[in-house]
Amino acid sequence: MSTDTAASQNLASCHLCWKVAPADLHHCPRCGSAMHLRKSDSIQRTLALLVTSCVLYIPANVYPIMYTDQLGSTEPSTIIGGVILLIKLGSVPVAAVIFLFSVMVPIGKLIAMFYLVWTVERHSRLDARQRTLMYNVTEFVGKWSMIDVFVVAILAALVHLGGLLVIRPGIAALSFAGVVIVTMIAAESFDSRLIWDVMEESDSDDATS
Amino acid sequence: MSNEIACHGCDLLVDVSDLKDGDIARCPRCSCFLTRRRNDMYDRVLAFTVSSLILLVLANSYSFLSFSASGLESVITLAQTPGTLWQYGMPAVATIVAAFIIIIPAVVLVLMLALCIPLQKRRYRPWLVPVARGIFLAQNWAMVEVFIIGVIVSLVKIMAMATVVLGISFWAYTAFAICFTLAVANLDRYQCWERIEELGASRVAA
Repeated sequence: MSTDTAASQNLASCHLCWKVAPADLHHCPRCGSAMHLRKSDSIQRTLALLVTSCVLYIPANVYPIMYTDQLGSTEPSTIIGGVILLIKLGSVPVAAVIFLFSVMVPIGKLIAMFYLVWTVERHSRLDARQRTLMYNVTEFVGKWSMIDVFVVAILAALVHLGGLLVIRPGIAALSFAGVVIVTMIAAESFDSRLIWDVMEESDSDDATS
Repeated sequence: MSNEIACHGCDLLVDVSDLKDGDIARCPRCSCFLTRRRNDMYDRVLAFTVSSLILLVLANSYSFLSFSASGLESVITLAQTPGTLWQYGMPAVATIVAAFIIIIPAVVLVLMLALCIPLQKRRYRPWLVPVARGIFLAQNWAMVEVFIIGVIVSLVKIMAMATVVLGISFWAYTAFAICFTLAVANLDRYQCWERIEELGASRVAA
């Protein structure tokens, strides 16, 4: 198996402009960004941010994301409550979209990131190609969870018909926006090259033994 | 000049020196996308950037959506979407929404003009490096296409309650989202930085 990685030749790749330069430089010679062989403290930072988003995910689901004032009565709705209400009203496709991006994607992302961190920590040799794909998908879907926050923003702006019908945003919108942003930063702090570094180590072990 | 990319997915060094117009380079080990060479890249990016800027101005000039029931009507502009959140006492969410759907995309577009016009004409400018850094740092945080899906979901949610009319701004923003996505997707990071380096080196040599 080839070991022609940048790290094996003591070269680092700039995270911003992808310039390949000697690893002992601290700043990229082309764009001036800080340069490291691997993202610094990748695992610790990712884990810390993942825990943060897990904590934020609790108020995001417990508190109402929006309130509907209809003819004098106020009805709060949580993310899950909104999905259930939509199913009852018969809009199953919309319920499915909201469920997918507000529940499945954030939880799936957290599970995927925890799994990746865990496999890197225990030097797993499980299919690295598949885990890299998993990471790329996680990174790609991240921002799509903002849909629910945008929906609340639009409904709150659009629906205010005096005493008849008013939709107001709830505090969960803030926590949920926090979950999305923090998991996006967590995905960005994770360095997928760590998945592959194990291959190099074990290759050299094989060679020496 | 080195013609190698260290794959950002798995760190494999990949030689990309003999790419021809239209060729795509992928990492042979983890199949991550690396670069795509296009000789008319800057023309494409500039075309989509200019269109996006015009459409963004239009999207902010007319009514976005209107909603009416029992003789009552409410009409909103694009900027009122974050604006109302602010009025409801949620300045943080309002700022986040405004940043993701209007401010960051607008800044990225202006920076793309400042970068791609000199690169297209092969002229060195002292601001090329900081501008390119700004673009590649900020582009992940533009969520225009997500916002469009958000609008569609909201519309389906309230369609049963009342009459909803899509304004000119809605269509302008939808077209803007498409052009913006294409502009960002066409700007190839590797090719762009190679050209910046090339121009910087030729200036030093001259």
